[in-house]
Amino acid sequence: MNMMTVMQQGIWAVSLWPYLLTVSIPLDCKEEQGSLSRCPSISQEKLLDRVIQHAELIYRVSEESCSLFEEMFVPFPLRLQRNQAGYTCITKALPIPSSKSEIQQISDKWLLHSVLMLVQSWIEPLVYLQTTLDRYDDAPDMLLNKTKWVSEKLISLEPGVVVLIKKMLDEGMLTTTNSEQGLFQYDVQPEMLESVMRDYTLLSCFKKDAHKMETLLKLLKCRQTDIYNCA
Amino acid sequence: MAVSPPSSKLLLLLLISSLGWLSTPGSAFIMDRDHMTSSAPLEPHFTECISRDQETFRCWWSPGNFQNLSDPGALRVFYLKKDSPTSEWKECPEYILSNRECFFDVQHTSIWIPYCVQLRSQDNVTYFQEDDCFTVENIVRPDPPVSLNWTLLNISPSGLSYDVMVNWEPPPSADVRAGWMRIEYEIQYRERNTTNWEALEMQPHTQQTIYGLHKGKEYEVHIRCRMQAFTKFGEFSDSIFIQVTEIPSKESVFPLTLVVVFGIVGILILIMLIVISQQHRLMMILLPPVPAPKIKGIDPELLKKGKLEELNFILSGGGMGGLPTYAPDFYQDEPWVEFIEVDAEDPDSGEKEDNQGSDTQRLLSVSQPVSHHMHIGCSNAISFPDDDSGRASCYDPDVPDQDTLMLMATLLPGQPEDREASLNVVERASERGERPLIHTQTGGPQTWVNTDFYAQVSNVMPSGGVVLSPGQQLRIQENTSTTEEETQKTEKESEGNEETDEKKQKELQFQMLVVDPEGSGYTTESSARQISTPPSSPMPDKGYHTIQPQPVETKPAVTAEDNQSPYILPDSPQSQFFAPVADYTVVQEVDSQHSLLLNPPPLQSPPPCLPQHPLKALPAMPVGYITPDLLGNLSP
Repeated sequence: MNMMTVMQQGIWAVSLWPYLLTVSIPLDCKEEQGSLSRCPSISQEKLLDRVIQHAELIYRVSEESCSLFEEMFVPFPLRLQRNQAGYTCITKALPIPSSKSEIQQISDKWLLHSVLMLVQSWIEPLVYLQTTLDRYDDAPDMLLNKTKWVSEKLISLEPGVVVLIKKMLDEGMLTTTNSEQGLFQYDVQPEMLESVMRDYTLLSCFKKDAHKMETLLKLLKCRQTDIYNCA
Repeated sequence: MAVSPPSSKLLLLLLISSLGWLSTPGSAFIMDRDHMTSSAPLEPHFTECISRDQETFRCWWSPGNFQNLSDPGALRVFYLKKDSPTSEWKECPEYILSNRECFFDVQHTSIWIPYCVQLRSQDNVTYFQEDDCFTVENIVRPDPPVSLNWTLLNISPSGLSYDVMVNWEPPPSADVRAGWMRIEYEIQYRERNTTNWEALEMQPHTQQTIYGLHKGKEYEVHIRCRMQAFTKFGEFSDSIFIQVTEIPSKESVFPLTLVVVFGIVGILILIMLIVISQQHRLMMILLPPVPAPKIKGIDPELLKKGKLEELNFILSGGGMGGLPTYAPDFYQDEPWVEFIEVDAEDPDSGEKEDNQGSDTQRLLSVSQPVSHHMHIGCSNAISFPDDDSGRASCYDPDVPDQDTLMLMATLLPGQPEDREASLNVVERASERGERPLIHTQTGGPQTWVNTDFYAQVSNVMPSGGVVLSPGQQLRIQENTSTTEEETQKTEKESEGNEETDEKKQKELQFQMLVVDPEGSGYTTESSARQISTPPSSPMPDKGYHTIQPQPVETKPAVTAEDNQSPYILPDSPQSQFFAPVADYTVVQEVDSQHSLLLNPPPLQSPPPCLPQHPLKALPAMPVGYITPDLLGNLSP
């Protein structure tokens, strides 16, 4: 198991390395919600590219985290449950299009708002995931690092999407709505297996939603560059 | 909702056990078909559900072992789309019964929403597995890329391997351009007719370089792809074949010019080396050296050291280093020169051995039955030697034997009366008449003559004999033995180191030529002591030894010689000896008038061990050379 963790750590480091350089730069701009004048202005295309890169990376790392977690904690027979996690995903209630045709039909605004909703709804659960993972005795460091990284990147992604919305749609700033907070329940000291399954479900759902984010953003980009061919 | 922990635990346990039971039969095609375990009652199940473009998907089923359900229409497909808690099972929107396939088109396909499929028979028997639930993005297997082809990238300098750039197009079904699917590609290649594929790294671009392909081998290449960060690969494309047999050598001209240039440079270097190594020879050929002049009679050391007074002294003829012009005048007046006949070559003599190459050897070798003829191989034996080398070449270190003694005797003046030896020193002119003279001496005593081979011919007698300059000595020795010679040699050396005060004013003294059997050259030492014989009386003049015997004179000389000379045995009455009159007189002293006092041969019997000081360091050196240390002796 140590070999696997080492390998995965290596893979993680290798995979993240090119992204870190490119993505880390505009973070300062994204975090600056209030005064845009302090950041050097970045073009809309470049910002969108950076956001897409961010989303792609988040998805990749979340997929790796889910695999790690599955290997480490989830017994083999229970691994199928991720496919059934449709009900229990916290974002199931969000009105997000789920097919390509639907996505192509919705407007940019709706796309961006969907992305923003996704990002905002996952920030808190990921933080929670961090705490629960720390409670595990033999959680590999790689897993912890990855989830931590994802959590941080998601947090930094949110203002980027906000800025993007602002640039593309010329809308005002949106306040983050924490309407999803009530859905998430904190169980004090749950059972191990229960906790494991819950976390597993969480990770699976997040992986799915990360992919959703990435796809939405890419379709948005396609629409921005070449609207006729992306229809 | 608050579920009591024990009940939840129980529920979970039941769930787990049921799952464990359910997962073994049938197929969990979502997981992997490798996990399929075949059990006896194989119920109808789904074999696979695949999406190619993330917009549609298909599911295939099989009836299993249930023969009654083998009819394709016997089973129906129902699916559940879990997009809301109130969703229901719906039937397959499109059947393709020939394939036992259910096709979900775009309207019925939603991404990121779990689907569950089940089979139902006519009588509502449901065959359902939990693991037949999936989300569409997880079952995506893209089509293989299309338009795979390659181009030659570059060739190694050796021409044996090359690199190839492979490029392709993404599958048309995958909407990569819109970003709907993010695909990465994997190239695999292998040599034809091998079994192992070599896989290159996955990357999302539509071209890749294959490095290090070998010339002449045929390679098979194919490609597949998958969604990035997903696990399921699509199928492999059709293989293409790469082979490079003839690598165009565009740079064939380039090496040729290099070869030419290097060849020219190499030749130039070679020529330079030859010139440098053979520099001296070339210089010899181009600029032959001028032979150095040989100044007789002047020691070059004098010239170097700049001793002008001595130089002048020599040049004025004041010493032994007199100019050659001086010496002949000196010698020409000697009447008592003796004839020496020397046969340079006598092939008739059977006594000679073949291996006696030089006449001198024959002359000097005692042990060998040397012919009666003396052969002096060197023509310049009597001439003034120029340098030591000439003498040495004529000198033979062999032990003089009896015949050699005889020959020696013939060489030297003062031959016994019963023998007449004539040496024809002139090159190989042998006087036949005088040969018997030598022959007669065969029975005679063994005479061992120390001869100064470089004796100068001062005069030629009418009878044909040759008058030699008094550089010779007659040494008569009956039985030459090595001991005698050794003692002779040692004594000679000892004598050499001694200073003698004996001088002869008017007579030159003999220079005793020691025939050194060991071949170290002979030293001509004034062995006036040894030579000192009274025969000066019969030989009024100095320096000349005539070989023509004058027994009267020689006898006392012999006797006198016997007393002193270690070389001469007392019982050699017939031994004769010359008065030590030497051409090469040792300069012992220079008197006040700057006249050289030479070593006179003693008229009376000299003391047996009269130390004499021969000319110091005047070995077989050319006459006329005075070394500086000799000059030291000359000084008064």
